[in-house]
Amino acid sequence: MAVDNKLKEEQKTKTDFNKKATDDVLISFDEDPEVTGETVEVASKEEVKQMPVIMSIENLNKEYSKGKTVLKDVNFDIKKGELLSIIGPSGAGKSTLLRSINRMIEPTSGKIDFDNKNITKIKGKELRKMRTNIGMIFQHYNLVDRLSVFENVLHGTLGYKNSIQGIFSMYTESEKEEALDIITELGIQDHIYKRCDELSGGQKQRVGIARALVQKPKIILCDEPIASLDPSSSRIIMEHLRKICNEKGITVIVNLHQVDVAKNYSDRIIGLNSGEVVFNGHPNEINKEVIQKIYGTDFDDLIME
Amino acid sequence: MQSTVEYDSNGSIKVSKPNRGQTILKWLIIGSAIFTVVGFFLMDYTGLDLTQAIPMTIDNLGQMFLSPSLNNTTWSNALWQVAVTLSLGFLATILGAIISLFLAFGTAVNLSKPWLSNTIKAFITVIRAVPTVLWVLIFAIAAGLGSVAAVIGMIFHSVAYLVKAYSEAFEEVDEGKIEALRASGASYGHILFQVIVPQTKSYLISWTFLRFEINFGVAVAMGAAAGAGGIGYELFMSSSFYYDMQEVGAITLIILVVAIILELIANRLKVSA
Repeated sequence: MAVDNKLKEEQKTKTDFNKKATDDVLISFDEDPEVTGETVEVASKEEVKQMPVIMSIENLNKEYSKGKTVLKDVNFDIKKGELLSIIGPSGAGKSTLLRSINRMIEPTSGKIDFDNKNITKIKGKELRKMRTNIGMIFQHYNLVDRLSVFENVLHGTLGYKNSIQGIFSMYTESEKEEALDIITELGIQDHIYKRCDELSGGQKQRVGIARALVQKPKIILCDEPIASLDPSSSRIIMEHLRKICNEKGITVIVNLHQVDVAKNYSDRIIGLNSGEVVFNGHPNEINKEVIQKIYGTDFDDLIME
Repeated sequence: MQSTVEYDSNGSIKVSKPNRGQTILKWLIIGSAIFTVVGFFLMDYTGLDLTQAIPMTIDNLGQMFLSPSLNNTTWSNALWQVAVTLSLGFLATILGAIISLFLAFGTAVNLSKPWLSNTIKAFITVIRAVPTVLWVLIFAIAAGLGSVAAVIGMIFHSVAYLVKAYSEAFEEVDEGKIEALRASGASYGHILFQVIVPQTKSYLISWTFLRFEINFGVAVAMGAAAGAGGIGYELFMSSSFYYDMQEVGAITLIILVVAIILELIANRLKVSA
């Protein structure tokens, strides 16, 4: 009898926990004005449909070790000039998907077409050249702390340089001027000669964005760009990303934890769960059922453990 | 409760249970302690009178350090010889540092292939296992006894030491910083000189300077042992040839002052780097 009671009690706590976890996501689903800022103008579903395709991902699979599948048969197109958010629970494969796009992680199978060219098998110089077209920014900024802001931003040009030019920091005046313009646009021009470890998190991330922009990329990948930032810095970063997308026509792909942020800033949202695309649509189509679908099964897994 | 506790031979409860390694270590320490004590009793003390020997030693030390003077050489010569020794140490350090930098790129596991890393590590271990004096004597066969052989021998040990220090510093560099540049299309060489070197610069400088201090000491010894010249040779002459305690003291004090100055410079460099 006692055992029975205990079991029942356990079950009850489990359901309570399940409910609480769902509530957590739904709470974050309510908009926090400090993070999301004012509602920004995003493209409508029809407008996104009309954008030309810049990259298409077909039947992408990734297995780390036998049986441990991270991405399962992922298919979607990326449009030129859209801001695409990828949301999903931790371990859903968001980072792996993002890094498969610039081949920092080798997919097990599948095909990625970038500018009508299959990039899944290219090597060496060609791979480097492809990567110059894809900028990347990171959760932990990944700047070289001991170098100045200017030097870090100029690192974005290394992809276009040969070894000697890169090793001895031989940047041309036009590259420097271009970098300065981008730095000024992002509002960090007062700090150009400061070492990067003297900056705040939000400023570091702007340096990261500047470094990606100096590459003159067609796509910018952002891996949890605001996960380590406070709400107001997060907003500044998201607004900059939105601006880059609108004004320069650069495609921005963002991995996000915060559903409300994704809803507010993106033209399109892809929901990933256990390596599968479970949602692909306009932010307006996100509702409680969709959230449940993206985050839902994960709760059950959590309870099973 | 009873079954989980073990008792020693006296019947009291054991509070710890050493593993195999700890047991071996314990017996090694006990064994060497016994050999040391036994060794004292087996030594040949014929003709040694401690009541006389101890005051004489103190007297010698007093002569050396309390009334130092340069009897067989001049101040300018002594300082010049210190400069020669410093140059030997400097040359060995700077050449060793350049070689080490490139070998360390191959050794750091985050920058290299495992086979290459392990090969260099094995090579380095062999170099380190042989004392510097032996390397100098080996190269003396080809280069003749003198400063060339001494510098080459010192380079060998500097490389063995610095590769380990550098590569460990490189391995501390955050993987994300490397990833960021790789993702931007930068090449391997760019990553080495735009991320790894700037990020570890202060470590590189402080390790290299520490090695310079060590090389200065080694260069003193090489002056005497391998005829490399410098203040070490003067020290050897005044102690073994002239048997001049006062001069030995003077030279030792000069070396001490130089070593202290080097230490002060090292601290300054570390702060500013």
